[in-house]
Amino acid sequence: MKQTLLHLLVLRKLGYKGSRAAKKRIIFNLILITLVVSALIFAQIFVVSMSRGIADKYALLGNGHLQIHEASLGSLSEKEGVLDVQLVAQSYALIYSPEGNKMVRLKGVEEGYFNNERTSQITLLDGVPKESTTLEQVLLSTTLARELQVGIGDRVALMLVSDDGIRPQFCVVGNLYDSGYQELDANLAFCDYDLIHRLFKGSEETYYELLVAQGSIESLKQDFKAEGYAVTSWDEENFTVATNLNTSRQAVLGVMVAVAMLCGYFISELSRELVEDDKHQIAMLTLLGARHSLIRNVYFNTVMIVTILSILGGTLLGVLLSSNLSPLLSAVADRSIPSLSYYLLEFTVVYPLGDILTIVLVLLLVSVFSVQFSLRRVKRIEPLSCTHFD
Amino acid sequence: MMKSTEVLTLEAVSKSFPATLRGGEPIQILEGVSLSLNRSTSIAITGRSGSGKSTLLQISAGLLSADSGSIRFEGKEITKLDDEHLSRLRSRSMGFIFQSSLLLDDFTALENVQISAMIAGSSEKEASRKSLAMLELVGMQDRLGHTSDQLSGGERQRVAIARALVNEPSLIFADEPTGSLDERNAALVEDLLFSLVAEREVALMLITHNLAFASRCNTVYQLHNRNVEVRS
Repeated sequence: MKQTLLHLLVLRKLGYKGSRAAKKRIIFNLILITLVVSALIFAQIFVVSMSRGIADKYALLGNGHLQIHEASLGSLSEKEGVLDVQLVAQSYALIYSPEGNKMVRLKGVEEGYFNNERTSQITLLDGVPKESTTLEQVLLSTTLARELQVGIGDRVALMLVSDDGIRPQFCVVGNLYDSGYQELDANLAFCDYDLIHRLFKGSEETYYELLVAQGSIESLKQDFKAEGYAVTSWDEENFTVATNLNTSRQAVLGVMVAVAMLCGYFISELSRELVEDDKHQIAMLTLLGARHSLIRNVYFNTVMIVTILSILGGTLLGVLLSSNLSPLLSAVADRSIPSLSYYLLEFTVVYPLGDILTIVLVLLLVSVFSVQFSLRRVKRIEPLSCTHFD
Repeated sequence: MMKSTEVLTLEAVSKSFPATLRGGEPIQILEGVSLSLNRSTSIAITGRSGSGKSTLLQISAGLLSADSGSIRFEGKEITKLDDEHLSRLRSRSMGFIFQSSLLLDDFTALENVQISAMIAGSSEKEASRKSLAMLELVGMQDRLGHTSDQLSGGERQRVAIARALVNEPSLIFADEPTGSLDERNAALVEDLLFSLVAEREVALMLITHNLAFASRCNTVYQLHNRNVEVRS
């Protein structure tokens, strides 16, 4: 019977057959909390997806998931979880064009380097050299080409430093690529594996670049170490970038959790507002003999129903918005927001269930505690106070 | 088992209020008030404004604590009851009618009465049946689905009477129940109240300025010099 009474009172508080004002208040709060939750979920998905996208660029184009610094390897590619093994040579060179110069990391790669995994991370421009040439070809990024003001088929010079002094090696821009992440593109150029050997004559660094299945990086690294290989992972090779990405992700999660806590406090304000406006009714119910626990449950259930519906709606809305991240970002980028050039415009959306669950749980827990806390005021409403409205 | 005929007994009840919110010399409102009320009897408390009539009613119903003295309701010392027991006592054994009907705004006439029955422990079905019967008794059967703002002052007061009686209480506390009604409606509510109280063998404590209304009670007390004296 108490349940039926509770049900009746909660439904009325939620606006069912209630006054327009009660309905409006509930709907307003429902929309407001939904929007806040959706913004939190959207922001977290955005940050995690962006971080993962940038990490993928570094792993797939920069260093591979794992690097093995050995002259030769056994049957590495047959190991479970290893997707691709490439022999790579790299060094640094100053690249010159008539309009500018830039120090770049030059990677010498073999023919099979740009496989499906890697080509999914870049856009290769299909240009044709302006004239046939016997010069060696280099692959530059569109960012670098823009900086050097060169295009496909243009000549550039690699300034090589050796014991004999500095000598230029002329090359032609064979093609341009765009990984979508300018920070990486601005310093990375590719050429043929053999060219690096010829140019640097042993001063280059040679290693094996491995692409492995997500989630197997650490275990494979340990396996290789156990087998005696000198192995590093992409985050060790790009320590600053990896640390920055990780710190950003954790900092953003921290901010989202803090906002979720504030939102939880705001939810307790809804309960405070409901109780404040219903003082007369609460006093009346107390006068009729209703226990404080019943009245507290009415307001607690009402607010928590609004909260849970808002969290569900907000999470769905956040996920829905983030599933359209690329078109949204492109639309924003079209408005020429310069800071966006330092981010990716296209990346795979990752749904960080752990982070989403953390935000939702924090919001829920803070709401439960703060609403319970704010409902202590119910006990302070004297039954007699309803007669003061005479 | 026979129910005890004594419903309410006050012995040497005193009450004072601080002169200001910050304290100060207290103002004595009631001093050594004693009276008793049996089942099927009615008493009226009259007196000038500010004499402490409503305070006496509130203390008698356990809504306000007395400084000293004893208040027994159906033999139980209510000054020693905790909130939970007082709530239970109010829901099952007391009925309240105030000057303004104090209905729950968002609820219909039927729901207002039903909620009172459900608080007292009736199932939804039983509460509905009892509420319908009570509302019919007060002539509100055609207004069951109307909310407070759709009812006139007299109709609201009739719903309040139905609500006060739905749990078959031992005692009805009525504080100026006709105070805000016009003459015709006031007469209707008076008649209804006295007929139902007599019919259901309920005790009635009535606070009123209206001496004619008060005179319909078995005993009329005048609150004077912080104490009650029998007027008739």
